[in-house]
Amino acid sequence: MHTTTVRFPRAFGPARKSFIRRNLPYLLIAPSVVMLLALIAYPLLFALRSSFYFWNLQIGPEPLQFVGFENYVQALNAFDFRAALTNTLILSILGTTLEFTFGLAIALILLKALPGMNIVRALLILPTTIAPIVVGFLFRYLYDPGGGLLSWLLQSLWLPVPAEGILGSPSTALAAILFVDIWQWTPFFAIVLYASLLAVPDEILEAARLDRASAWTILMRIKLPLIKRTAIIIVMLRFMQIFNTFDTVLVLTRGGPGTSTRTLGYSLYEQGLVNFNIGLVSAMTWITVLIVNVIVALYVFFAFRNEEW
Amino acid sequence: MSRRHTSFNTALTYAAGLLFLAIFVGPILWFIALAIRPAETAFTMPPQLAFEPNLDAFRHILVDPGTNAPQLVNSLIVAIGAVLLNLPFSVPAAYALSRFKLRGKKNIMLWYLGLLMAPPVAFLIPYFILITRIGLQGSYFSMILVLQTLTIPFSVWLMKSFIDEVPVELEEAARVDGARWYTIMLRITLPIVRPGIIVTSMFAFVFAWNNAAFPLVLSSRSTATLPIGTLGYFATSGVTWNYIAAAAVLAMIPPMIIFLVFDRYVVRGLTFGSVKG
Repeated sequence: MHTTTVRFPRAFGPARKSFIRRNLPYLLIAPSVVMLLALIAYPLLFALRSSFYFWNLQIGPEPLQFVGFENYVQALNAFDFRAALTNTLILSILGTTLEFTFGLAIALILLKALPGMNIVRALLILPTTIAPIVVGFLFRYLYDPGGGLLSWLLQSLWLPVPAEGILGSPSTALAAILFVDIWQWTPFFAIVLYASLLAVPDEILEAARLDRASAWTILMRIKLPLIKRTAIIIVMLRFMQIFNTFDTVLVLTRGGPGTSTRTLGYSLYEQGLVNFNIGLVSAMTWITVLIVNVIVALYVFFAFRNEEW
Repeated sequence: MSRRHTSFNTALTYAAGLLFLAIFVGPILWFIALAIRPAETAFTMPPQLAFEPNLDAFRHILVDPGTNAPQLVNSLIVAIGAVLLNLPFSVPAAYALSRFKLRGKKNIMLWYLGLLMAPPVAFLIPYFILITRIGLQGSYFSMILVLQTLTIPFSVWLMKSFIDEVPVELEEAARVDGARWYTIMLRITLPIVRPGIIVTSMFAFVFAWNNAAFPLVLSSRSTATLPIGTLGYFATSGVTWNYIAAAAVLAMIPPMIIFLVFDRYVVRGLTFGSVKG
């Protein structure tokens, strides 16, 4: 009918939709994307350009000389940088693994729904809420060789504590930093894994128990596969967070003694904000960004391959 | 299973619970005690549990006008500012990602995720130089602005998970009645997800509040936030432990309260919505 076309003009296919209506979702996303691009493009391009120059703010305000890939060569050959890369990988891999394992163990205990355990669960999250820099101070106090609670506890238990203090000895400093990370983030894994395990349907577990499956089999074959997506995401997040750590190291050890607790994040801080070696730190930035991207890309490729969004 | 065995298990579970509290909450309490104990007892071992608490350190941090900038106020301005700037960017994006079929949606989501993995410390020098060139050094706005690299991606993910839960039928009903998309978004969807907006804001607040990297280079003496304050007491002399602790305790309290109050949303927030907590 003639009147129908007049009354419902918009019902006639996408061709008649306005530009705004057609591109609505993209227009809604655009501001955030533009904002984020503006915020990250500058640092990345700035670092890319300056990585090819000899440029030290302590010597002069402007880049002094084009040096090609010299900064990259210098960074990769520096003993400091390679030590930092090793330490960072040790921290990230051990930290993520141990935090996941301990967190899972705690989550399984929390699942035994006893009166009062809710309070334990709620309070357990507290370490995760604290700023890393504050956690750094907290443990500096606990590790203090001249009367820190942890040092004292270890000595009282007849455990060997290095004379230079836990943070002062190359043999214990990295482990001490790892312990701080584990203290702060194990509760995070515990709470997240606890919550996702709660969502595992009871019928499945009942069926498995009727089949006389052991607790271990139920965990490995039923519970863990069902919370896989959650596990994938939190493991990735934590890995990258530890990989970029610098504030706890800054407060606890400043990378020392020697290079024993130097991390990539701390090296970037030191070369950039202490030595103002802009050219070198820019090369280090790009090396770090490339490493991070390769790790994340591989991980995402394998972990999210079969995921729906 | 015998009854005795079960009660043994119960006892064991409670023992484990207490052990967890001792390990994960004990150090925090011990640190809070540092802020209110007489300075000379801070390192006496065996630990002194009985002491006369005093609030001198807090008084010094909060009201001593000679040396201290109002770091508590600065932290509030930066964190609240970061939330306010964040919402107009992230809420529409989250709405679009939740409600429309998009080509490349997965890639867009992963792109946001990837930004959360960038090493903030690597960006400090370029930001410092950029902010200095445009004359914003030491301003609150410079910190609020660069914090968006963290808060926008996080908020988009978290908000999307909340909007996903609003039944599409409500919007369709309004559409049948002739409402336009913006009316639907502003009048129907957003009011329903108000709790989600609040939770997202609280988490963005905590992220901004706890961040030390950006204020480290972008703040001035008068705009320094609490984490920078703790660093300040540390750098000037290593012995002012009760001042460090007082500033640190002030910095600890708001995120703790937020996480405890929003307990049921904590998991979702910490995994930015990828887990329906």
